[in-house]
Amino acid sequence: MIQFFHVYKAYPGDPPVLSDINLNVEKGEFVFLTGPSGAGKTTLLKLIFCAEKATKGQILVGGRNIARIRESAVPYLRRNIGVVFQDFKLLPHRTVEDNVSFTLDVLGVPRAEAREKVRRMLKLVGLEHKADSFPLRLSGGEQQRVVIARALVNDPTILLADEPTGNLDPALTVEIMDLLTQVNVRGTTVMVATHDATLLARYQKRTVRLERGEIVSDEDGVKAARRMVAG
Amino acid sequence: MSVVAKATYFWRSAAVGLRHSPFVHFIAVTTIAIALFSAGMARGAARVLDNLLASLGGEVEVTVYLSPEMGEDEVHGMRTRVEEVSAGQVTVVPPDAALTRLRTELGDLGDALAELPENPLPATLELRVPPEKRNPAALQALAKDLRAMPGVSGVDYGEAAVERLTAIARALRFGSLVAFVVVLGATVIIVAATLQLAIYARRGEIEIQKLVGATDRFVKAPFLLEGLLQGLMGAGVALLGLWAFGHVLGPTLGQLFAFLLGPGVGAAWVEPRLALELVGAGCGLGLGGSFVAVGRFLRV
Repeated sequence: MIQFFHVYKAYPGDPPVLSDINLNVEKGEFVFLTGPSGAGKTTLLKLIFCAEKATKGQILVGGRNIARIRESAVPYLRRNIGVVFQDFKLLPHRTVEDNVSFTLDVLGVPRAEAREKVRRMLKLVGLEHKADSFPLRLSGGEQQRVVIARALVNDPTILLADEPTGNLDPALTVEIMDLLTQVNVRGTTVMVATHDATLLARYQKRTVRLERGEIVSDEDGVKAARRMVAG
Repeated sequence: MSVVAKATYFWRSAAVGLRHSPFVHFIAVTTIAIALFSAGMARGAARVLDNLLASLGGEVEVTVYLSPEMGEDEVHGMRTRVEEVSAGQVTVVPPDAALTRLRTELGDLGDALAELPENPLPATLELRVPPEKRNPAALQALAKDLRAMPGVSGVDYGEAAVERLTAIARALRFGSLVAFVVVLGATVIIVAATLQLAIYARRGEIEIQKLVGATDRFVKAPFLLEGLLQGLMGAGVALLGLWAFGHVLGPTLGQLFAFLLGPGVGAAWVEPRLALELVGAGCGLGLGGSFVAVGRFLRV
């Protein structure tokens, strides 16, 4: 589903952010990207949804080489990728329903059909009773669930989450991670960037560790969890 | 994908945009309205100027002096030929009539003319030039043709006055064109700057749109519609202003300056063609301004 071949990313005058990244994520897989701050986790995710362009190397997403993608084709690629951010990126003056519906507006889905899909998605994330609320009236966990609903309402094949629990307390963190696991069980490929070791130990999923822009380990969930417990 | 759903979304989004930043849009609409009102006033002023030129041009007469030896029949033959060459109206002034007119013009000194042994004045033809020939080049060419005709001893048409009048009109037209272009450019800049403020306030929305897969055209469309609506509103205000000017000040100006400016100043200041042109220009200004403004916010 997602393949990186000798990918480099550097900004002029700075050391490389990513160096010689080789990675293969299968369809329906759940992958943690971990490592300290500045390791390159966010940049790697940004390369997948074309918010950044690789300096060198090839990236295939769903068999399509996005290193050579035309600017005009980027929106169509993004329609297959849901993105969840640590800082939510919700529109404060729109209701929860309108925020989730935003993705469908872009696709020109008729209002009635969009409303039905949004209601279903809000039910999935447990927020159907908050449809008419405004984001700032919600807790951090609820806001993040709205973001996940927005990312999933279009049934994307890939869900990327950049530190989705970074601003949440432990109880809400579990709530959000359970939701992402549930989404993965439904068949969506999920990549989560986090530096929270307790998550890696608790969920025991494949873990790719980055340090200074390089992949230093790529382990299955059990092995990674064991190492976390031992370390 | 539903085109109707998208169109509905664009209009809804444009309306929300207008509602969210009313002051910014008020400035843009006012700027467009002032520019279009000025353009409409300039157009009205140009029409008044045309009337003035036409009325003054109507005063331009070409006098053709004939040889003194010409008999009455020959003079009438000349009249026909001059009418054919000039396509104007010709009046014959016989030598006796010319002398009488001169005596009247001279007043008390006119009595001296009675002492002359014979009338020295030749017969003349007074030619009223058609409107299309009331310009220096055409008059010069006509005078040249007339001078070349046998039996014509001289031609006079007030060359200097016509040239000065036309030069003034040309300078006024050029000046108003330059002023119009400057106002137009300034309007696009002001509209773009004000719209940038409105778009900046919604940059978060644009960022999310781009992240969920909106094309540049999709992102731009509501802002272009906002610009279009601003242009329409600006044109509406300008037309209202011109209509009010025409109804309140126009008749008064018409009465005050009718002796100089002719009847044009009292005529309607908002004609259907002008209204269409101003609406078109308003839409162009609004669209142009929003197009310039939205471009730089699309890179996410």
